[in-house]
Amino acid sequence: MINIQFYSLLRLLLKREKFELPAVVNETVGQLLQRLQQQLATPFLQKLLDDQGTPIPGTIIMVNRRNIHHLEQLETQVQDGDVVALFPPGAGG
Amino acid sequence: MPAAERYNRQILHWGQKRQQRLETATVLIAGVGGLGATVGQLLVRAGIGKLYLVDTGRIDWPDLNRQLLYTEADIGQTKLEVARQTLQQINANVKIELLPTRIDHTFQAPADVAIIADCLDNYTSRFDLEAGLSTDSFLVHGGIEGDQGQVLTLQKGKSQSLADIFTGTRQPPDVIPVTGAGATILAGFMVNELFNTIFGQPQLLNRFLIVGLSDLHLTFLDV
Repeated sequence: MINIQFYSLLRLLLKREKFELPAVVNETVGQLLQRLQQQLATPFLQKLLDDQGTPIPGTIIMVNRRNIHHLEQLETQVQDGDVVALFPPGAGG
Repeated sequence: MPAAERYNRQILHWGQKRQQRLETATVLIAGVGGLGATVGQLLVRAGIGKLYLVDTGRIDWPDLNRQLLYTEADIGQTKLEVARQTLQQINANVKIELLPTRIDHTFQAPADVAIIADCLDNYTSRFDLEAGLSTDSFLVHGGIEGDQGQVLTLQKGKSQSLADIFTGTRQPPDVIPVTGAGATILAGFMVNELFNTIFGQPQLLNRFLIVGLSDLHLTFLDV
């Protein structure tokens, strides 16, 4: 299974802290998020991706503690046991 | 006033040895606004040895809902001067050094600073602050936006960098909403973690504490 964790405003929007999906061979983070949206009652991808499917600045997407910007972005492959975290941090101080 | 009497309530909690450690500790507070004004006040009340305060701002009306060191009479004054005056009135034993400088790519933390409170309000300055720290320094980061906030401790050179973790984030184009209660709660969590770090036991090292104020939710995210 892949453990997808929602933080901050995404947790409030989706009314859940996490969701598990079975791993699919050769699946990427981008594909995983599309599959996740199909499973959830509340659309949320518009908060993460623009019309071209590019990540919108504002939410950190991490795979096993690493920001996907330092991996293969949305093409980062995920596999069984991975933890994907979606976190829109607070910017003010 | 003897220190044993002044700090009696907290010495009952954490003991004399930790109090002495606190009184010899130095912390740099970057940004003396919503988070930093309260972080500074709580550290001074606890008897921190020395504080560096970094800010270039002047006090304005929108600051007064949450920046607890400032009053209407201070409008237009520099935050650093008013902060120092108020903090020294609270506790004259604390050494306070002012650094009225913008935090940019040239910033270098003073050599005697090993613990830094990131109370800034924008990512660019946060990344420049982190870059200007010496290896092994502890950075206690805080951020807040509306009713959501986070605290995280990183150790320079050993943790992932703040810049790496926050890659892809963007400063919101509009003014960031912040309430007095929210800023004070997050500042309290930051100070608690600063104490833990001074005492050699940071609890949020490489671990976000993410605070949801609307439904009083606390959760962790390891990085």
